[in-house]
Amino acid sequence: MIRRSVPNWLFWLLSIGGIAVLLTCYELVSARQTRINPLQTTIPSFEKLSEGLRQIFRPQGLPDNPKPPMFWVDIRATLWRLVLGMGAGVGLSIVVGVMMGAYRWIEAPLRPVFMFLSKIPPTAMMPIYFAVVGTDQKMFASMVALGIFFSMTQSIYQAVRQDVTDEGINKAYTLGASEFEIIYDVIWKQILPKVIDSIRLQIGPAMVFLLAAEMVVGNAGLGYQIRMQSRILNMSVVYVYLAILAIIGLAAEWSLATLRRTLCPWFVE
Amino acid sequence: MESCNAETHALPLVCRVTIPFKVQSVSQYALEIKSLSHVFGSHRVLNNINLQVLPGQIVAMVGPSGCGKSTLLKAILGTDAPTSGEILTDGMPVRGPNRNVGIVYQNYSLYDFLTAEQNVSFGLKLDETTIWMRFLSTRKYFAKRREQNAKAQAFLHRVGLGNACGKFPREMSGGMKQRVAVAQAFIMRPKIVLLDEPFGALDEAMREELQMMLLRFYQENLIAKKEGRRPEYTILMVTHELNEAIYVADRVIGLSRFYNEGDQGAAIVYDRPCPVFSPDDPRDFSKFVKQRDELRKAVFDESYVKDRDKYVTFWKELSELANDVAKA
Repeated sequence: MIRRSVPNWLFWLLSIGGIAVLLTCYELVSARQTRINPLQTTIPSFEKLSEGLRQIFRPQGLPDNPKPPMFWVDIRATLWRLVLGMGAGVGLSIVVGVMMGAYRWIEAPLRPVFMFLSKIPPTAMMPIYFAVVGTDQKMFASMVALGIFFSMTQSIYQAVRQDVTDEGINKAYTLGASEFEIIYDVIWKQILPKVIDSIRLQIGPAMVFLLAAEMVVGNAGLGYQIRMQSRILNMSVVYVYLAILAIIGLAAEWSLATLRRTLCPWFVE
Repeated sequence: MESCNAETHALPLVCRVTIPFKVQSVSQYALEIKSLSHVFGSHRVLNNINLQVLPGQIVAMVGPSGCGKSTLLKAILGTDAPTSGEILTDGMPVRGPNRNVGIVYQNYSLYDFLTAEQNVSFGLKLDETTIWMRFLSTRKYFAKRREQNAKAQAFLHRVGLGNACGKFPREMSGGMKQRVAVAQAFIMRPKIVLLDEPFGALDEAMREELQMMLLRFYQENLIAKKEGRRPEYTILMVTHELNEAIYVADRVIGLSRFYNEGDQGAAIVYDRPCPVFSPDDPRDFSKFVKQRDELRKAVFDESYVKDRDKYVTFWKELSELANDVAKA
């Protein structure tokens, strides 16, 4: 029957089973490919993957002039760009989205512009970023920031319009609130869980924009490294990097969900 | 004992308990509406509304659907300015939603992110602290907030929600939410509180409980007057329930287009005092059957066209009552 509940133990067993089946299938396919071509690196075995894992943590450079392992260089570059871009994009989106939702005279001119610009895929705008901002750190940050800015502003604007009722605002006025207090004490607090959710949903697209930019013009970063390693068919490193990306995504999602639970105990989906 | 005379207005029951309330100036009215009219495009909704409400009165407003009750309420609240006329609360013109006019909506409109206690003390926080105080003078701010929360707790106890202080709106029933909304509005001591069909979404038992709460507020008004204080609870309540209007209020007004010049917009066609009940009195609806039928005929009967002032006799009746008290 649709949506019939299953016992907890069975649910967990099936969840673990799903992962086990995936890993087993992967190892079987890898073994089969290796039988056909012992030098293949397209689907590396777990043994080769562990070698890839060791490789990314191995110090680089010459013994008398060692350099940090490639993982630290790449993860630092990518996360810093992500934090910079997300920070700028989220901050700007919150200010503009809240203002659009609060004031009709701001909403009127901006809404059609945002509707138009949000339809352009940010990756397609890369040449414009290269030409206007250059190819340094600013380019990566602005790519991420502008990539999420339009859609996130729209979702925050929608949250203000839908979640904050006119009655709530009028009542705040009757309780003696100033306009700033209504924005901070009523609108912001009401939409906070939606803002956190929106950030969570934007991490995926932000990573796509950032990795795409790194693959094209980066000199460090997860995207850059994935492109370089795939060119020499060193897939054991590529797969490890993909797993790292998944872990970053899961960690970000978990952190934001925890943040939402802590800051907004009243909110129920 | 101060006697009621031609210059002295008094609530019906107040006169009966010989506590007259002398009107010293125009600003003694909690609410005053002067020649208010409202037009939507070519459609005239309200036609020359005049109304004065004294502090401590509980006024019920009834009328057919679409007659302009909400328009009038919005005008008093200050969210939709009337096309012409003036509204004063405690002598001050209404220019927008402000501290003088409280509001309780049918759908509660509590702040989801605040507990019952925080919802009630929210207005005190907005009114008595500033954003700068929160960040620059945190010790003073938190001391003030403790004081405000204690006040909110005390008010919640008064409305029977002492055990629900820490609950969020989603954890409360409709009746509990409405009591929090009432406490939230009244703790600010506004000059008048508008109740917009406050009990419309509640079941019968909960309605009765909240009606009792309003009757208790009215009793507190009487005590305040007895002690020479200004009564705290002045209410204008919109309701569809005629029994409720007569049972809870001490004055009923009816807004309707069913009068001689009805095509000019709705007007107040009924304004009369009604019997006042104590919370301990049995709910005997037979006591106001006559007035309910009169109200139904005067306000809701489309075929009964009459002069708009025929049933607008509140002040005249009050004056007569005051004279009676004076003679007695």
